[in-house]
Amino acid sequence: MATHAHAAAHDDHDHKPHGWRRWVFSTNHKDIGTMYLVFACTMFFVGGTMALIIRAELFQPGLQFVDPQFFNSMTAMHALVMIFGAIMPAWVGLANWMIPIQIGAPDMALPRLNNLSFWILPFAFLILLGTLFVPGGAPAGGWTMYPPLALQGGDSFPMMIFAIHLRGISSVLGAINVVVTIMNMRAPGMNLLKMPMFVWTWLITAYLLVAVMPVLAGAVTMLLTDHFFGTSFFAASGGGDPVMFQHIFWFFGHPEVYIMILPAFGIVSEIIPTFSRKPLFGYESMVYATAAIGFLSFIVWAHHMFTVGMPLAGQLFFMLATMLISVPTGVKVFNWCATMTRGSLSFEPPMLFALAFLFLFTIGGFSGLMLAIVPADFQYQDSYFVVAHFHYVLVPGSLFAIIGAVYYWLPKWVGRMYDQKLATWHFWLSAIFVNVLFFPQHFLGLAGMPRRIPDYATQFADWNMVSSIGAFGFGFSQLLLPYIIIKCVKSGAKAADRTWDGAHGLEWELPSPAPFHSWESPPSAAVIARGAEH
Amino acid sequence: MSGIAVRIELAPHCSLTPSGARTLFLGTCGVSFGIAGLMTLRGYWPVLAYAGLEMLLLGWALHASLQRRHRIETIVVSEDSVEIEARWRGMATRAVFPRHWSRVKLRDDFSRLRPARLEIESGGRCCEIGSFLTGQERQRLALRLAALIGGMADSPPLPPGKPRG
Repeated sequence: MATHAHAAAHDDHDHKPHGWRRWVFSTNHKDIGTMYLVFACTMFFVGGTMALIIRAELFQPGLQFVDPQFFNSMTAMHALVMIFGAIMPAWVGLANWMIPIQIGAPDMALPRLNNLSFWILPFAFLILLGTLFVPGGAPAGGWTMYPPLALQGGDSFPMMIFAIHLRGISSVLGAINVVVTIMNMRAPGMNLLKMPMFVWTWLITAYLLVAVMPVLAGAVTMLLTDHFFGTSFFAASGGGDPVMFQHIFWFFGHPEVYIMILPAFGIVSEIIPTFSRKPLFGYESMVYATAAIGFLSFIVWAHHMFTVGMPLAGQLFFMLATMLISVPTGVKVFNWCATMTRGSLSFEPPMLFALAFLFLFTIGGFSGLMLAIVPADFQYQDSYFVVAHFHYVLVPGSLFAIIGAVYYWLPKWVGRMYDQKLATWHFWLSAIFVNVLFFPQHFLGLAGMPRRIPDYATQFADWNMVSSIGAFGFGFSQLLLPYIIIKCVKSGAKAADRTWDGAHGLEWELPSPAPFHSWESPPSAAVIARGAEH
Repeated sequence: MSGIAVRIELAPHCSLTPSGARTLFLGTCGVSFGIAGLMTLRGYWPVLAYAGLEMLLLGWALHASLQRRHRIETIVVSEDSVEIEARWRGMATRAVFPRHWSRVKLRDDFSRLRPARLEIESGGRCCEIGSFLTGQERQRLALRLAALIGGMADSPPLPPGKPRG
């Protein structure tokens, strides 16, 4: 044991590295959170550009701008980029920024692992986007990678698998870090049922990630070995079962949907009480409802594949289990409404996005219930109705919650207030155009338009034109977001420490901007009690 | 050194106990290996390999995070000295001050995030203790130490306690 005399010199504990080293070697949760958010925003615009190429092609019947192969590449890449490059990293970024602050911890439990899990991401996406430039083009078999179609992808196939593996490693490292941080780094007095809802929803999300990521990794590895090493896990010619890939993929894929939406529930549960100036109605029921949704997400996967053929008992089980999810989800929607009832409401931009989430996500939920009904699903399967459904869940659901979170916490992050008038414009443009974009797709699907086609019958022309106009309106209105953020950072007015008068939570006990090192000394019991007024 | 000594041991707060960590780890292993086991039974064994790797990582992460439990500060106040020993992963730093010429100082805010620093100082040297305590805990410790150590050139009688061997 080394022993030496010790006389400590004073250290202000707020030093931080400068220049590129600050970012490349960062172990600070706020810096890593910022990098995740910037990365997600970049990928959002990359994926959005792909969506606009799709909608430009579908503006009218016939082939206008791109060939069908490239069109199919765009649909697959748009999904991969948006799911793995935009939505998930945005949630991890928000988790990095907010979880340590909200539980009174000085940083994430494993800061170096945190750095690694971020820096894997850009390489994963360089490889994935690099497939656009290889012979045969980018993956064109959809983000679900169903064999045998996915195996015909040329050079892009192994690159896609490698990129997904890297992305999976990044997710697992991040999820394990979140679990360990929340379980071991909570300040004294911050017991589990005092944690903010965002932390709770992220804890359950991290468990879902830990549970399903090996399934995805195993599935894509088996695709790889089927293609290059002569195995036949999914090759019918060798006795394998291609339909089993769908089962395995969706065993990962359905919890993945909840991975993208549960943190949104947490955000909305933070924003609505703040702008209703009331505690969250039914905090404990919200926690249990989140856990119930997490559990149910493991037993509903086959509703994505009713039409492959399965026993009637299986169809009934998956139909009823899927419908059961509406119970805990309904508890949440009821609790948010009850929180607002007789509240002293105000409608700042974060609240507007949260309210839009509430209405529009519920529409996505209802169309999900329609899809859960087996005989109806046989009609809707692979139609634009499905496209409308999941885009209502992911765009005004996940994306609006992310934007709401940015507008909610941006003053805390940068210490300056953004232009609320411009942010309100951003909201209204987004809310109007997102409906112009996606609502007509319900009609198209019900009328029989299949998804993933570059051309269509003229009977679908009118609503496709409306949808494409909505897409361009929505896409261009999103340019307001980086503009508002840059303007805020450069010239925003000084923000108060407690930016929103109804805000609770430990983050609002910190100065604005939150210092480089926060909660080096744990918050006191009184501060935690003040913050835990859910 | 001999006579009466008061020993105070400080350890950082960990919200997870070792038994809690074990339960968490085994529970997660149960879910992960349960899923992977079912897949393996159907012939899709690569899932099991990834589940194993992931659980190894989770086990390491829990172990690494629980290491902070081993950060311990021991303060021994005896008739003639104040000893502060900080231990962390086999390393120890030790500071010894003459009790008669030492004092306890609770420094006020120099940053809103560090409400106070608790230090023992003597002859131009100082040593911070209990940086991982909450403000209230640090204040209580400061009062207790002040009563034990006294001010400069002051050595109040120690309460009766275990004789020091």
